[in-house]
Amino acid sequence: MTESAEGLCRHCLLPVGLRALQQSMNGESCAFCCYGCSIAFQVKNGKTEEWEAAWLLIRLGVGGFLSMNIMLFSLLIYGGVFTGADARLLPFIDVLLLVLATPAVAILGGPFLRETLLEGARGRLTSSALIVLGVGAAYIYSILAVAAGNAQVYFDTATMVLMLFTLGRYLEAAGRARAARDLEPLLAAERESVEVVRDDGSELRIPAREVERGTLVRVRPGERIAVDGVVVEGASHADEAVITGESRPVHKDIGTAVVAGSINLEGPLLIRSSGSGGATRWAQICRSVREALMQRSPIHRLADRAVTGAVPGVLLLGGLTVVYWAQWLPLNRAMLMGVAVLVVACPCAVGLAAPLATSLGIGRLARHGCLIRDAGALEALARIRLLAFDKTGTLTLGRARVVAIETDGTTTTDVLALAAGLERHSEHGLGLAVVAAASACGVEPAPAHDVRAVPGRGILGRSDGTTVAAGNLDLMHDLNFAIPPGLAACGRRAEASGHSVIYVGWGEKASAVISLDDEPVPEASATIEALRDRGLHMAVLTGDLAPAACRVAAALGIADVRAGLSPEGKRATLDRHRRSRDVVAMVGDGLNDGPVLAEADVGIAVGNATDLARETASVVLPVDGLWLLPWMIDVARAVGRTVRTNLLWAFGYNLVALTLAALGMLQPIIAAAVMAGSSILVVLNSLRLERLPDPLASRPPAGPADAYSVRRSIGFPVALAPTVERG
Amino acid sequence: MTYYLVVFAAGFAGSFHCIGMCGGFACGLGRDLRGRGATLLRHLIYNFGRLTTYCFLGALAGALGQVLCTQQGLTFRLLDGSLDAAERILAIVAGLLMVAMALQFFGVLQVFHRLAVGFGSSTFAQSLRSLLTTRSRVAPLAFGVFNGFLPCPLVYAFAAEAASTSQVLPGLLTMASFGLGTFPAMLMMGGVGRMLAPAWRQRGVRFAGACILLLGLITLGRGLLPLGTHMSHGLLGGHPA
Repeated sequence: MTESAEGLCRHCLLPVGLRALQQSMNGESCAFCCYGCSIAFQVKNGKTEEWEAAWLLIRLGVGGFLSMNIMLFSLLIYGGVFTGADARLLPFIDVLLLVLATPAVAILGGPFLRETLLEGARGRLTSSALIVLGVGAAYIYSILAVAAGNAQVYFDTATMVLMLFTLGRYLEAAGRARAARDLEPLLAAERESVEVVRDDGSELRIPAREVERGTLVRVRPGERIAVDGVVVEGASHADEAVITGESRPVHKDIGTAVVAGSINLEGPLLIRSSGSGGATRWAQICRSVREALMQRSPIHRLADRAVTGAVPGVLLLGGLTVVYWAQWLPLNRAMLMGVAVLVVACPCAVGLAAPLATSLGIGRLARHGCLIRDAGALEALARIRLLAFDKTGTLTLGRARVVAIETDGTTTTDVLALAAGLERHSEHGLGLAVVAAASACGVEPAPAHDVRAVPGRGILGRSDGTTVAAGNLDLMHDLNFAIPPGLAACGRRAEASGHSVIYVGWGEKASAVISLDDEPVPEASATIEALRDRGLHMAVLTGDLAPAACRVAAALGIADVRAGLSPEGKRATLDRHRRSRDVVAMVGDGLNDGPVLAEADVGIAVGNATDLARETASVVLPVDGLWLLPWMIDVARAVGRTVRTNLLWAFGYNLVALTLAALGMLQPIIAAAVMAGSSILVVLNSLRLERLPDPLASRPPAGPADAYSVRRSIGFPVALAPTVERG
Repeated sequence: MTYYLVVFAAGFAGSFHCIGMCGGFACGLGRDLRGRGATLLRHLIYNFGRLTTYCFLGALAGALGQVLCTQQGLTFRLLDGSLDAAERILAIVAGLLMVAMALQFFGVLQVFHRLAVGFGSSTFAQSLRSLLTTRSRVAPLAFGVFNGFLPCPLVYAFAAEAASTSQVLPGLLTMASFGLGTFPAMLMMGGVGRMLAPAWRQRGVRFAGACILLLGLITLGRGLLPLGTHMSHGLLGGHPA
């Protein structure tokens, strides 16, 4: 599998775009986005026994040797060494310089010339055309000057400009590779191989995507677990950050499940794969990241257009500079100014400003399980003003919890004991909540027999010789149980406020009403608070009943609530918000909200493990990953800031330098150094993104026992606890 | 002339320090199968590449010093009072740098050393090794050229010294003397391939430190003492002004 097919540079993992540089290296064909990357890749990965790898370095070394000699002599000339009696040496030195410069220009300028010709054949002018033209002018002028016996030659300009640009491109590419470090493991998934243990005990390495269900895979410490499965031998800890966002090590022992993409930290593990290696969420994440990297964000497209447009403009400006100055100065001085204009205006930094920072951001987020599915989403995320949340499954877990028990005088303990006695035979979500509530209060379920579920009604059975029933109002009516008026009112009130209600009755009479509510996401409150600190407006858009929605919203401090909305209604509301707030994001569970998520400027799907390829949201958070939202906004904003400062810097720098050059105040060699410096500064500025803090592990530990907990609810009157509705 | 001899001596002694890193490279360059002559040629080419880089750095440093001291560009050099100040400041900075390097050779100041080692072990330095094993005739030249740019406290010190001469030719000659000074040890390392006893290396490093300290103090004195510029020239024969 070659990288070229995937459209990313082999070295820096930026999209190669249209100007891919194909080169054969270490026996395989590699695509690079630029000349610098091909040098840096060879420097880094060139195998010693291969001639091609060393050849490039040899060429650069010899080019450097020649141009340094040229520069030495030129410096001596400028330094006034060859004056007086030694001046007669000058013509000979000029010839010597010509002899030295010709191979140097050929060696160092070759790649630039090749790029210019290739692009020119496709009818495009790139920045290397500027270099070729500038250097060519200086070189040809100098040859003519030598032929004419003229003292002024500019071989040093020609070679040093090439040398500096080559150096600049190398350094820039080397810096970019650091950005790629974050992405490398994410893109390596397709190439990842695993060590498979066969039935006869022999081991062999096969690509991870060829692993099938039931295969035994050995994972050594420090290796990435490439398949989903269950541990059958060994114990260790695993870092699952890329799937869950949580970088805390998770203990793994015989029988525990492991997820593909996590890193085995200390002990060797033998894992029985539970599915195909190519179908894991990890593999999907990797494909998604690759796709995202290959897209260009709007600002990136804008910068690219500016670069394309700038080259002819600069050529024109260079021409005008020469024509203008030639009227007042000798031609050689005017030409030098023109060369300076061409060299200094090379818009490499502008083209680099957006993609580098964006890749860094995407890689950073992906390492913590946050997937950005297109580069534009990251840009939009930085600018959002309003976040609309769906309720169920986003702000709440979608799991019931007992919040109140109203009785006609019997104790809640009796009610819970009898209800739990029935419900422990049930698998209904509400039933599970009742059983959990009983065990949380230390109530022993009363033994029941002849238990049967009545579909759509509830459950009934016999305990101590009496019929006990737990279910809705219809069940009570079916059984002709009497309902005390006070209890009926309680039930109606609870239902009106959006709670689920279970009537519990025995001995021909309903005796209690259990109110249940949805479990809120534990970290929702802290997350909303953190988002508010970031100056964002929040809204709740839900299809649920208004009272339930309002209760959740009030508990989280969200004032803007729209309840009872159809998906159509959610979209319309979102549109209204967009008119007033400009950029809006919708946060949903990705299952029911698909169309709405697709409609928003940024659709953020939280916590579902469905097929990523069918996901409509442009941002996907890991399961239970709501807490990552503020951090993600921070990263997106930091990336946005970096792109802006990069562009500002690159454009500003270019404009100032261009003005100076056009005014004849910049030597071409200095101009080349200045230009190489500008790209490197853009790289360095982007690399500052590496220093962003990791997401704060502020999330409370949420074990499975926690999910059904009734910590703050049993025995409280209805609606006292700020809780949530069942979806 | 004496001045350049001191620089040469410092380079010669200091090259025992280089054996640590560059010596490894020289050893890596190894022997040419075509015989002793070819081996010697290989190493001469490598050292020539290194020398070229040093000369280039020296000339560049000298030119930089000249620009800083004249402000008029490369073609004029005025010698009036106000410009003398710039020259003095340059001499003080260079002198301080050299003294710091010298102290580091005595094991006192380790900052620069760490800096150099940190850079030296970079991917670039390691990847250069791919050039060592190539059989091409010009590979040693390319390798030498790159090697000259590898960070090394000695090179920093003498580049600073070259800048303080504030002229192209003396700057070039300073670095050339230094580079030639490192020739014997490096050739020995490569050609003979025999390691020097650690005690002798230690002594060499001390001696280099002393030379650099002397040069540094003189450069510093040129900046600080009244009529300092003349002093240094008088003391060590001066460099052609």
